[in-house]
Amino acid sequence: MNYLATVFPKAGQRRLPISRDQAMLLMAAFNEIMLGLDTLLAHVLNNTIRPREWIPIIFGPAAGIMLLVAGLIALRNRKTATWLATAVFLTSIIVGVLGAYFHLIRGTLPTAPLGSRITLNLLVWAPPFLAPFAFAGIGVLGISAAWEEVPTGSGLLKLPFGRTVQMPYSKTRAYFFLVSLGTLVALVSSALDHSRHPWENPYLWLPLVVGVFATAVSAGMGALNRELTTEDVTIYVTAMVLLIVVGMVGAYFHIQADLTSQSTIVPERFLRGAPFMSPLLYSNMGIVGLLALLSPQENGR
Amino acid sequence: MSQETSQNTSSSFRLLILGIIAVLIVAGLTLVIMAVSQAGTEASGDEPINVLADSDDECVECHTRNTPGIVEQYGHSSMAAAEVTCRDCHEVDADYPGAIEHEDTYVLNEPTTAMCETCHENEVAQFNQSRHALPSFVAYAGQDVLSPELLAMYQAVPEGGYSDEKVRARNAIHAIEGPAITKFACESCHDVGKPAEDGSVGQCQECHQRHEFSLEQARRPETCNACHIGPDHPQWEIYQESPHGIAYATDGHTWDWEAEPGTLDSTNFPAPTCATCHMSGFGPTATTHDVGDRLTWNLAAPISDRRPAWQDNMTRMQGVCSECHNTNFIETLYSDADKAVEQVNAWVAESDEIIQPLVDNGLLTAQPFDEPIDFVYFNLWHHWGRTAKFGTWMQGADYVQWHGAYEMLHERAELIEIVNDKLEEAGLEPIDPGPPGPIE
Repeated sequence: MNYLATVFPKAGQRRLPISRDQAMLLMAAFNEIMLGLDTLLAHVLNNTIRPREWIPIIFGPAAGIMLLVAGLIALRNRKTATWLATAVFLTSIIVGVLGAYFHLIRGTLPTAPLGSRITLNLLVWAPPFLAPFAFAGIGVLGISAAWEEVPTGSGLLKLPFGRTVQMPYSKTRAYFFLVSLGTLVALVSSALDHSRHPWENPYLWLPLVVGVFATAVSAGMGALNRELTTEDVTIYVTAMVLLIVVGMVGAYFHIQADLTSQSTIVPERFLRGAPFMSPLLYSNMGIVGLLALLSPQENGR
Repeated sequence: MSQETSQNTSSSFRLLILGIIAVLIVAGLTLVIMAVSQAGTEASGDEPINVLADSDDECVECHTRNTPGIVEQYGHSSMAAAEVTCRDCHEVDADYPGAIEHEDTYVLNEPTTAMCETCHENEVAQFNQSRHALPSFVAYAGQDVLSPELLAMYQAVPEGGYSDEKVRARNAIHAIEGPAITKFACESCHDVGKPAEDGSVGQCQECHQRHEFSLEQARRPETCNACHIGPDHPQWEIYQESPHGIAYATDGHTWDWEAEPGTLDSTNFPAPTCATCHMSGFGPTATTHDVGDRLTWNLAAPISDRRPAWQDNMTRMQGVCSECHNTNFIETLYSDADKAVEQVNAWVAESDEIIQPLVDNGLLTAQPFDEPIDFVYFNLWHHWGRTAKFGTWMQGADYVQWHGAYEMLHERAELIEIVNDKLEEAGLEPIDPGPPGPIE
């Protein structure tokens, strides 16, 4: 069922050129490329990128390109495309988890006195330890999208060689949980980053409030063990639209903070100042959340 | 039965996943609440942590017994927190220039900029282009001691003072005083640009003191005070007298000394320190480790001339100024200060004319600094001329006036008297440069 059509009836009247899973895969490819760029900007600060810091920078665009190639292959041979996409997404999960580990150990002091080895203060000022999980999140999302669910809503995924696996939740509900966890990562990263300053700026509370709301709503949508009502979907869509808006407003404010008082663009301020791409993670999750409402049918109906 | 078992298993998995998600969300929200409640704390926190306190690293353990001070300092540094080890900076191959054997390995006593460059590539490249690099060393040692590679490097420093016509010889005072004194005098400061045995140039630790390498320490004006003080370049004294220095003295404790480099503006630093104007990424001006990158004049020269590409430098400095001052203020200051520099230039040029008859008639000794006139002539530009110019640009009125222009006039009068005594002793006509006053 196309839940989006319950809130936006016109969305249900049009047949989309691609299925929900294909849209998710396109988002995943786009995200991999953008994550690679975002990581480059974050790692290039000292003009000295350490060898292991190149991994996500190279992997991101490479993964994005391979996923687009997989999309083309899928037109003729879905099985091969699924295998290729799965390999890319599995690697993405590994890259994400490794990155989170590297960031976390940079935020710890293993030879400091006990009690000082890992503190909240260190997590606030260290490289964002949850940020690399974005790669892992895309990996999980991508694998979910790459494997066909037959019949739709059953949670029964078709694997290669005619095998199947029964997932505990349907794909749609799994997407809701993924949106919730993705939003949670964005929320925690934003809260840690903003905690470098006192929360005197009222606009800083926007991503906090909206992030908590969207995390709770999307988790609740996944947990609901019944047919979704128009009210459910309306609340969820509101949360997702808020995420999109807050992400865009955040990007605007971050760019404003990076500009000088005379609005001069100084590249160094964009690299070292407020990360102008980070708020867009909120918008990203909002879009993924809306895509999850599309019809799970392969033909897009 | 089998279907029932399968359904039960599926329900259990659903419950498990729901539970895990609930735990993650609760943990995440708790972290958010804790982060918000601790907002605004500095990176270093209230209680400085010695990150090496429980280290079992061999270097740390041994030096904790033998030189505990440096281990304590390094334990509180951001470099140690970033897990940069002693070996990363000190350990080298056995055949590395300057390597000494130490506890079954080879180390450099003082890591060179080649080591710093491993992580701080931009900073070292900018430093190498600055007057803090080779020009600083050549100022006392002369250029003859440079290898061909280093000479080429020196020649490539645009504001380094190299010219094909005028070879920089060893500094006369450095030669007269000798190494017993100069080691503790000239070299203490000018070695900031001394070449190392490995061919790299400079000593980062002159400004980034070992072993804390504190951002705040590098940004504090007291750090620059180590060298930029005294009668020949009293920038520290001038700064203290200036509105900027007064703001620092009264409000500096409230400034954001640990702010992210490259993003500073008037919200972090409502008034500047030395680093803010000359090095920090501040407002529209990007960070540099080339201290001359924003300067328009060679103020240290006897007769100041414009620096290469001074208009670009001026744009960068005025970008810093514009964070707090309007265009009229800045342009008026530049215009007025240019006139003051030209006035000091004219007085120094006049002093050259005053002693010229002695040069023409061979009445000066060949040795530098062996008779009073050498000191009077030198003091006029090297102490008072420079001080007046620095005071002008840095807003230190007393240093423009009583430690600058007034002293220049005093030296001028003394210079005329000495010159005329010498001329009369030689049976020559005395000079009459006229009364002191502004010179066009």
